[in-house]
Amino acid sequence: MNRLALAALFLLAAAGAASAQSEPPLGIHLGVATCAGSNCHGATQRPKNSYVPGNEYLIWSKQDKHRTAYDVLLQDRAIKMAQALGLPDAKSQKLCLDCHADNVPDDMRGRQFQLSDGVGCEACHGGASGWLGIHISGATHQQNVAAGLYPTDQPVARAEKCLSCHYGDATKFVDHRLYGAGHPRLAFELDTYTAIEPAHFVVDQGYIQRKGRITDLQVWSVGQAIALVRRMDAVLDPKHAPKGFWPEFSFFDCQSCHHEYGAYARPTTTGLGPGTVKFNDANEVMLKVAAMRVAPEAAAALSEHMLALHRATLDNWAAVEREATAVRAAAQSLVGQFAHHEFSGDDMRALADALINLATANTDVEFSHDEQVTMALEAITAGLKSAGDIGPQQADAIGKAMGAVYAAFPNDATVKHDVFVQALRNLQRVIRR
Amino acid sequence: MRTTIGRGLVLLGLLAAAAPATAQTPPQTSPQTSPQTSADSDHLGVQSCAGNNCHGAVQPIGASRVPQNEYLIWSQKDKHAKAYAVLKEPRSLRIAHNLGLADAEHAPLCLDCHADNVPPDRRGPQFQLADGVGCEACHGGAERWLGPHLSGEDHAANLKAGLYPTDQPLPRAAKCLACHLGNDQKFLIHKIMGAGHPPTPFELDTYTAIEPAHFVVNQSYVERKGRPNDIQIWAIGQAVDVKLRMDLILNPKHAPKGVDFELSLFDCQACHHSMNDLQWQARASTGLPPGRIKLYDATALMLQTVAARVAPDAAKTLHDHMLALHAATAESWDAVKREAGAVRDAANALIPALQGHNFDQGDAKAMAGAVIGSALDGGNLDYSCAQQQVMALESVVAAMKALGFADDKQLAALDEALKGLYAAVADDQKYRPDAYAEALKAFKAKLPM
Repeated sequence: MNRLALAALFLLAAAGAASAQSEPPLGIHLGVATCAGSNCHGATQRPKNSYVPGNEYLIWSKQDKHRTAYDVLLQDRAIKMAQALGLPDAKSQKLCLDCHADNVPDDMRGRQFQLSDGVGCEACHGGASGWLGIHISGATHQQNVAAGLYPTDQPVARAEKCLSCHYGDATKFVDHRLYGAGHPRLAFELDTYTAIEPAHFVVDQGYIQRKGRITDLQVWSVGQAIALVRRMDAVLDPKHAPKGFWPEFSFFDCQSCHHEYGAYARPTTTGLGPGTVKFNDANEVMLKVAAMRVAPEAAAALSEHMLALHRATLDNWAAVEREATAVRAAAQSLVGQFAHHEFSGDDMRALADALINLATANTDVEFSHDEQVTMALEAITAGLKSAGDIGPQQADAIGKAMGAVYAAFPNDATVKHDVFVQALRNLQRVIRR
Repeated sequence: MRTTIGRGLVLLGLLAAAAPATAQTPPQTSPQTSPQTSADSDHLGVQSCAGNNCHGAVQPIGASRVPQNEYLIWSQKDKHAKAYAVLKEPRSLRIAHNLGLADAEHAPLCLDCHADNVPPDRRGPQFQLADGVGCEACHGGAERWLGPHLSGEDHAANLKAGLYPTDQPLPRAAKCLACHLGNDQKFLIHKIMGAGHPPTPFELDTYTAIEPAHFVVNQSYVERKGRPNDIQIWAIGQAVDVKLRMDLILNPKHAPKGVDFELSLFDCQACHHSMNDLQWQARASTGLPPGRIKLYDATALMLQTVAARVAPDAAKTLHDHMLALHAATAESWDAVKREAGAVRDAANALIPALQGHNFDQGDAKAMAGAVIGSALDGGNLDYSCAQQQVMALESVVAAMKALGFADDKQLAALDEALKGLYAAVADDQKYRPDAYAEALKAFKAKLPM
């Protein structure tokens, strides 16, 4: 018996003691401390014979904002937000905790569980009581997953998990009341956010053997499809139906309203006239670009229904629901295709071209699109790199060009469009080289 | 006393002139007078007024009652003279294209406010659309009154012949606000804003002064037209603004379409603000939760401050219905219309009280306190509110000047403090409520005791 297994026995014993009175339900969240042992995921260097670097806890605790998700609720801004919402505080509210901590019910919390750990290991990987034992006993990944480990390695599952907070689901959702009270805007793209979290996994030979090779483009495109499905789910949720004549504003493009008004009105690709508020269609626009390469017919259907959805906002909510259902179906139909599509180097270059052409066309001056294009290009360049499609010299040039693209965003709500366009054209040249 | 009587007389003339336009409406002193009245008479063109013996002189001639440089002031300093020219600029062309129009300079949508856009058969030989918002756009087509006007008839006779009574606050408010806010015929709907039209802030007394005014209130002016009172002009301007806003809400053209509603009825900065700052504050005057768009209420809040002084019961009614109006936006458009109707009636009912009130030094002092109180105590620190408060204080200072309430040193200090206020509201995107509140406190400290 190795040391890992030995440690697990103790842990299991401890967990058992904590819930001795009643039969412990599976999936109890044992707490971050359970995973953070220096022989497990709290190592500073790779433990002997370990598949993984072992420093996952350190990366999370030192660099990952998920770690401070709960702490943020104690800050001034969160307190002011709570007050605006008529709440005594943020740190004890289900509304806030459901995404700012691993807010499982009390009877699902193990002895070492601490709410203040924020979005800890088991918030994403699942309550460990069912799988910790075999996990440290050398079970295969498939066995762990079968025992309850959440398959975050799989794009679809990962997208579902991340977006449940980074966009919202049936039980948690940042509506415009929360935004109005001061909640920051949620920006998200699955592949980029996986990388900048920063990722606490390394895709090496061992990873690929156990979990398969999953590409950045699969993660990106699946992330877009599921984000769009989620958006449409929210639109279709009766909780978010218009109150009086107010629609739920968070469905709309933030910058559609929250922009400075100056001499330059924005052209739109929605078919809506000037002065209308438009649905946030950035995921759809990205998905359409991807689908045009992989499934052109689906791309056309998606585009058609999205245009109809935009039009429906001038009609009535029943029309909105009808078209949202159609957009949802179109997006859902693409999930499986993207999850298994092998994106070639040509695919990636073509996507980069299409995205850059889209963003540099002056018929599309939208912050939300620019932001998604930037993250898509991040995913594509990562994809080209990991596919070995580009050499170190070109990778370096691309990295620099991407830096210039990011520099066009002085903050998270503004893009200097001219700078952006120029940086994109330069990136296009560097990628084509 | 003399001025009140003079004003009363002129009002009689106004009511006679307004009668045809308000035939279907109740016998209110309805501000909806022109353009119908002036359209009765041909518009002869700016040229007919600009003679160097008339209003195009560089200095008064002989025993003239007016400075006679009215045309020069208008043509050289007044943006009304450039209202048409602006339609040829690239921005206007871009707005037109965004709206699917070939250009702006031929579109009635634009010309109705950027020129004296009377029908072609109402245009005299010297009339030029390119003159922009010329003399007769405000003073009325001169065909029928130019004769008596030139022959030395008195003001009342000119009015009778069709001269528009811009000297009187109520018709002036209706005339200016017809474009600077909108009425049932012309309105800057959000589509035009979205196409690139700038917002149109307005306050009657301040904008009269900064136009710049091409009249001088001297002995002769007072004898012929009565003594204008800045606070009264401000107050009536606010009342008419509120009334017209409610008319716009009640106009079926602006009812919600699907989930799209006429956003121009709402406060621009309720949406057009940066998302980087924590800016939401609970406001007792709206009762709205965070994340909701608020109907524009800055002028209604100003009207409440003056109503509280002049007609406290009416102020309470207005306050209650404004709150109900905000609440109604969470309910239904029918509820909004119901409360808008009540606010409209309350604003309308205040107009005679405001017209009849002789705003004196005590009122000036009280209004300064009430306007500042609306911001600092009432928490009405939204940009739109601040903008109206600053212009209200400008009017109060002008009144103090006219009423001899403050000495030159005090006035200079107030002007300086006003500059600080204007600086605080100069750019809505850079507006900071806390900095504005500080500027307000600095202004307050300079007020004469």
